[in-house]
This record gives sequence, C-alpha cells and structure tokens, in this order.
Amino acid sequence: MNDFSPGLENVLARQGVTRRDFLKFCSAMAATLVLPTRYVERIADALATVKRPPLVWLEFQDCAGCSEAFLRASRPSVGDIVLDILSVNYHETIMAPAGKAAVKSLDDTVKEGGYLVVVEGSIPTKDNGIYCTIGGRTALDIAKQVCGKAAATLTVGACAFYGGWPNATPNPTGAVGVKDAVPGITLLNLPGCPPNPVNITATVVHYLTFGSLPATDQLGRPLFAYGTRIHDNCERRAHYDAGEYVEEWGDDHARAGWCLYKMGCKGPATFHNCPTVRYNDGTSWPVGAGHGCVGCSEVAFWDTMSPFYRRLPNVAGFGVEAQADQIGLGIVGGVAAAFAAHGVVSAIRARQQPLARHESDGVSAEGKEG
Amino acid sequence: MPKVAIDPITRIEGHLRLEVQVDGGKVTDAWSSSTMFRGMELVLKGRDPRDAWLFTQRI
Repeated sequence: MNDFSPGLENVLARQGVTRRDFLKFCSAMAATLVLPTRYVERIADALATVKRPPLVWLEFQDCAGCSEAFLRASRPSVGDIVLDILSVNYHETIMAPAGKAAVKSLDDTVKEGGYLVVVEGSIPTKDNGIYCTIGGRTALDIAKQVCGKAAATLTVGACAFYGGWPNATPNPTGAVGVKDAVPGITLLNLPGCPPNPVNITATVVHYLTFGSLPATDQLGRPLFAYGTRIHDNCERRAHYDAGEYVEEWGDDHARAGWCLYKMGCKGPATFHNCPTVRYNDGTSWPVGAGHGCVGCSEVAFWDTMSPFYRRLPNVAGFGVEAQADQIGLGIVGGVAAAFAAHGVVSAIRARQQPLARHESDGVSAEGKEG
Repeated sequence: MPKVAIDPITRIEGHLRLEVQVDGGKVTDAWSSSTMFRGMELVLKGRDPRDAWLFTQRI
C-alpha cells in the first residue's frame, strides 16, 4: 500500500495547500453535509489524521462522464484533497498499469480488504452478462466479488444507481444498477447524470470523519444531497408562483429568466441539491443556464421523465400562488402514473416514503415547507 | 507461438481488449475488441427526436 506520511494536512502542505485553504474546504464540506459549523473542526481533525483508505473505482457500462465530473471537482483543490485522502488503487481511465498489471492492482486490494468501491456504469445481466467484460470476466462477476468484500460501495451516476440509459426501454442488454446486481451489500447511491462531485466528496468526507455513511432515503440516496426538491430551492421559483413562464425557446421570457415548467422542466418531481450546490465550482446548473431539469437523480428518468420537453402533467397549483406541499403532491401523482405505465410500481412506493419524511421531519435545509 | 492479450487497456475512455499473435519476436496478427455493448441505437428508436442529444452525448 502506498501509504506515505499519514495525515492529509502534511500531504497538502507539501503541495502548497495552506491550512487556511484546508479549513475552507472543511467548512464547505460541513455546509454541503448540512452540519452545524461546530463540525468543521471535527472534520478537519479527522481528515488531518486519517489513514488513507484504499479505493477501487469500477467502470462497467459507462461513458466515463461521472469520472470526468469527479476529476473536475475543484473546491479548493478537491482533486488534490480527495485523491490524496484516498489511495486510488484501481481506476481504468487514469491508472498507469494495463492488462495483467491492472488486474493485479485490483486483486491485491480485494485481498487486503477494508477498501471502498465506487461503481460507475450499469451492469448487464442478459445472456450471462457478456455485454461487458473486463480482463475476460463479466461486469456482474467482478461486481459480486469486489463489492461483496468491500467496506462500503458508493454508486455514482444514474447507471450504477438503477441502470441509467442502458436500462431505458427496451433495455437491450438487461442493464441494472448495483443494488439489483449485488443485493445485500453496504451501499450508498449518488445518482445524477453526472452526479455533483461536491456530493461525492462530501460523502467520502462524512465516511472518514464519522466512520459511517450519511443517512439516506429509501432509495439509498444521502438526504443531505437528495432530501430537497429542486423546485423548492429553484432560483426561478418566484416566477412559477407568479405565473411567469417561458412559452417558447428564445422568447423574451426566456431572456428574462422566467420559469421553465412549460418547457418541460422536471424540477417539481426531482430531489437533488443542484440549485444550492451547483456545478463547476458553484458556477451554474442546468436551470440557471436556461434549460429545464430532466430529473436525472430519479429512478428510470430516461423513461418516466421523457419526452423531456413535454411539461409534467396536472401540477396542482399551476399558475397561481400555492403551497409547495400541494404542488409536490400533485407531481407525485403524475409521476406515479408514469411509473405505473412503465411497470416499475415498486420504485414509486419507495419514492413516496422519503417524500413523507422530507416534509414531516423538516429535512429541507431551507425549511420552507409546511 | 505465444498469443498475448492486454485487457483492460487503461487510460482510455471505454473498454478495449487487444490480442496479438507473436511469431519469432514479430507480431504477425492482431485483434482488437470493444468489450462493452449497450445498444444506444435500439434505445433511441421511437423516441422524441428532440431528446436524442441527451442520449447520444452520453455514449
């Protein structure tokens, strides 16, 4: 194991990251995790002394977009910070060894145990899993072995969550997510297409600080990132409530930044912290850039949320001042119908649970509801 | 006549396997395989054409 000086701070100091930058990073992580500020010091202490845990990053039926998103994480040098906290022993897109040497890196890590696994991409199950093989083994076989022996498994992206677009009708390869391919493991899902690197980093920081994975909803998604509805924190929400909508791409309303609901925005049916965390170091996010949300953190969104430019049906309170709860309930009904039409009723049952908890426990960071 | 297989090829995006036939220290034949298939064309069939870019950019 390539374990040089223990303690992240020493590693960072050698790379010119100051104590101040390090604490700024810890504050950003505490904020993302919706923790009180007193936890900043605790996070800093934990990260400064933690022994680097080994991590393997498995890519199956993927586009490498999640890896790309993660490698672009930048809150003060998150690339430095997380990649230095973790000993990344296997990641096909960025590792130096190839062929047998690469397989050996994976085998050695699995043999030693105590590692984290990140899975990117779906796992094909049709025809004995032949639609994705690495080193002569099927993705299914590798996932069962590597995730089965891991301390914890994190899925990144929609594909590893439930199958992603390879799973979309007609699902030619029988693609599924990790929870279906390898049931019963310690699993946390970070869906999104791609997921926000800040949330990936914050999950790792939580694990290193508290020795456990953050609290999740029924779909295994951490509540700090997937506990609030996009619609409720959207910067264009006031326009929705005032009945001010973009009617056509490029019209004056689009230029004025009005609500994209009529253009097909799925924000009212989607749980994610995009409006507050944003992408590319907090620069922007899809709705901020003028395009509706496509619902990428939800199960089967490629089927249930499409056509993406058709507006959600029968949203209660549409066009008038209305309570967020009423709108939300109308949306859940609409999505339930869509899910039932696609024969994934079980997914909606799970969906309703976190929603109820979300509204009764005040999980919302903004506390707007009720 | 050893046949050498390199799988996975790393530092690329996607999955690739290379096999080479070596005879007398020289490569006499070679095969490459993409070892992952998802069927994007099949998934795109029958969908709203305005949605196509969302799928294809995730190839």
